Amino acid sequence: MGEARMGHGERVTARPSRLAESWRSLKVAAWLGWQIESNWTDPFLFAVYSVVKPVAGALILVFMYLVVARGGLANPLFPYIFVGNAFYIYVNGVLLGVSWAVIDDREHYGMLKYLYAAPLNICTYLVGRGVAQTAIATVATAITLLFGVGALGIKIPPGGVDWGLLAGALVLGLAALAFLGLLLGGATLLTARHNYFVGQGVAGALYLLSGVVFPLDVLPQGLRWVGKSLPVTYWLEAVRRALLGDGGNEALRALPTGTVVLILALSTVVLAVASVLFFRWAERIAHRRGLLDMQTMH
Amino acid sequence: MGAREFSIETQDLTRVFRVKRREARGQTREVVALDRATLAVERGELFGVLGPNGAGKTTLIKILATLLSPTAGTARVAGVDVVENPWEVRRHIGMVSGGESSGYGLLTVEENLWMFSQFYGMRSGEAKKRIRELLEVVGLADRAKTKIYHLSTGMRQKMNFARGFLTDPEVLFLDEPTIGLDVQTARTLRTFTRGWIDDHPDRTILLTTHYMYEADELCDRVAIIDQGRVLACDAPAALKRGLQGEAVFRLTVDGDRDLGPLLGRVDGVQRFAHAARDGHTELDLILADENALVPVLTAIQGAGARLLSLEKREPTLEDVFLRLVGRSLTEVSEGGGEPPR
Amino acid sequence: MAVNLRAETLTFLRTAWGRAYPRVVGMQREKSWMLFDVFLPLLQVAAYVYIYRAIGAPPEFTGFVVLGGAMTAYWMNILWSMASQLYWEKETGNLELFIIAPTSRMAILLGMAVGGIFATTIRALGVLLAGILVFRVPMAPTSVPALIGVFLLTLVALYGMGMLMASLFLLWGRQAWHIANLFQEPVFLVSGFYFPVRALGFLVALGASIVPITLGLDAMRQLLYPQMMEGFRFLPVGVELGALAVLGVGFLFFAHRALRFFENLARREGRLTLRGQ
Repeated sequence: MGEARMGHGERVTARPSRLAESWRSLKVAAWLGWQIESNWTDPFLFAVYSVVKPVAGALILVFMYLVVARGGLANPLFPYIFVGNAFYIYVNGVLLGVSWAVIDDREHYGMLKYLYAAPLNICTYLVGRGVAQTAIATVATAITLLFGVGALGIKIPPGGVDWGLLAGALVLGLAALAFLGLLLGGATLLTARHNYFVGQGVAGALYLLSGVVFPLDVLPQGLRWVGKSLPVTYWLEAVRRALLGDGGNEALRALPTGTVVLILALSTVVLAVASVLFFRWAERIAHRRGLLDMQTMH
Repeated sequence: MGAREFSIETQDLTRVFRVKRREARGQTREVVALDRATLAVERGELFGVLGPNGAGKTTLIKILATLLSPTAGTARVAGVDVVENPWEVRRHIGMVSGGESSGYGLLTVEENLWMFSQFYGMRSGEAKKRIRELLEVVGLADRAKTKIYHLSTGMRQKMNFARGFLTDPEVLFLDEPTIGLDVQTARTLRTFTRGWIDDHPDRTILLTTHYMYEADELCDRVAIIDQGRVLACDAPAALKRGLQGEAVFRLTVDGDRDLGPLLGRVDGVQRFAHAARDGHTELDLILADENALVPVLTAIQGAGARLLSLEKREPTLEDVFLRLVGRSLTEVSEGGGEPPR
Repeated sequence: MAVNLRAETLTFLRTAWGRAYPRVVGMQREKSWMLFDVFLPLLQVAAYVYIYRAIGAPPEFTGFVVLGGAMTAYWMNILWSMASQLYWEKETGNLELFIIAPTSRMAILLGMAVGGIFATTIRALGVLLAGILVFRVPMAPTSVPALIGVFLLTLVALYGMGMLMASLFLLWGRQAWHIANLFQEPVFLVSGFYFPVRALGFLVALGASIVPITLGLDAMRQLLYPQMMEGFRFLPVGVELGALAVLGVGFLFFAHRALRFFENLARREGRLTLRGQ
């Protein structure tokens, strides 16, 4: 933090630029998030924990196919569904990581009010708190994909992967999820702690609406349109096209890949603006009603 | 007159914590929080435990309230061994911790208190009547229907206070009950505490504090504790009388000076503490007798310091602590020595 | 000392009601649970319904999913409001007040359970109702009393398990939260929340039966969809009922013992009041 000297020997602290403040908030939150996520146990148990949870989620799907689907895992739909499910781990991780931080800091550590009293950018702070979960989700997604390729016979030849598209889609998708997490963080500022955390709940809704585990075409017309307006849908479509060469959604097949990425980028921008506006609005309400240090555990 | 009845007795009570060493993975070091503490508190007493932060006061209360096992020694509350029969001890005790935030934020003040009363098996009607009375006494009646997450720290502490007294416990532990409270609230709670014990001679209160004034004003007897050890135990007046043969002075000299090495060499200086205040240095001195003052003043003058004020004081518990420990309570508690009077 | 049984019983009941009260009242005070605990989970259940539709499963499989979705509410309640609850109580300063109160810990846990069951049942009913109305899930139980019996026994065993977990978690700090988190999805998998558990193989299903929902779900599915379950039956309903009863008694017994054991251990190690871990 810089210092400036005024007349009469009075010293004042020069306020850092907004960008520097935001970056510092992100960094410290990412560090804190990692400490909270990782240091509760020894590294081995932490590694097992980080992997078992998402892989179990992926296996539910495998068994649903084994029980019912004609052809079982050889069903042509299966690779699309499996890849969608693997990348969905990010949705849960990021949304939960960012929105849960509000409850954790408010009701567990009692820190939220102090964060508001500190020269922090609370938005980047909350996004930073989700970084640890994102890192864990990256490992879990990679392991799930390796499991799919190694044990379930899903074909993702490295030479056939469009790595550029994958990287671009990942960056845009994670940005969209971070902003969605922020939006949920705003909602959490105004609501109590429940069994189902808002992050999980909305992730569940996206599971339905974004064509994660079945093609959008299966949804009723109304829900299909909701799905088509969500960035997560285009993110998964782009990721599938990058890995498998096809998105698996009949409803989006007519769109060229460039258009899919463009829609993803534009919808992320719209989401970003909406999230920040909503979060600031929720903040004002929380300040007005004195909700920054409420305790709702019961 | 029969044998004295002790509500609380401890014998060589010791608690050692094993703390992980950050610098050496997997290794631990031992921290002695309570070191062979022996105390006996009579029924009807308001007994104070005075000591700086980290002296072992809360550890003592946790052991007596059956929340923590001692590493060695024995403790009995209401005649029952806290290790052998914690279940029976709990029928006789209540506890209030300063700065705690217990209760459920979504419930109102009276609902929270009612919930705790049910854990003690109180009849609902009786509990509600008592809650109304207690809220009136602690000045929280107008907040009875307020959800507790809307309460200020002081109001929350008042509610916790009411909770402690709600079940009319035989032995009540008050752990730093006025910490962080404003002057008025602290005074209200202290007055209520003293009144309650005066009205209930069959009850006992053990109060821990690092506020010298609070211990002096409230307590029938006080144990002074530091680094887990009980250093003295008597009525505040008796403890202060122990310094009667000595002379207690407070001096203020100009500038922020370290006069420690200098005063340590002056004959007749038993103990001293110094603190910087408003750009000056305040010295608390315990001298063997008044004759030792002249060499002290000479030494100060020789060091180039200018004397701003000189006051001969009646001894306080602060001086007793200084005499016993060699440091002032204020110094050790880092700014926490002055109570909200 | 003569034990006043009547007074003890009254204190037990008052404690249970006292602890259930915040949960019952909390529902009315914070109505956002309807969104978080009913509507959003329903969408996740709907996703599983559409998976089955996408792969052309018979309509009974929609019933499997809706039933599993309804029971998910209870499993979440066990994890987040029973097992890890004492960790939260410790962090917020309530645990020490529970411990020094001259009342049964089981009564406090029972209060949490009763309050939780009340709230969770509303959520489960919401999922079931929506399943029946929106997805036209067929429901034709072969025996309503048996169905109710299985459901109630499942709840007793499940909440007994929750009490046991709560006592184990008494010792832990932040680990409790993570362990609860770890149990979430794997149990969805091994207990067959979204498909008949027999698909995992007999031995895995047997191992998973330690979680009472495994047996409860299988029995309820057998009673609701006897024909479809013919190929997927894990154990006969009667055996599952008996096993649930044994689990219920066992869990309650061990929870009682474990509470005392772990409370003493935590007191010795100074972990009962250790916060901010």
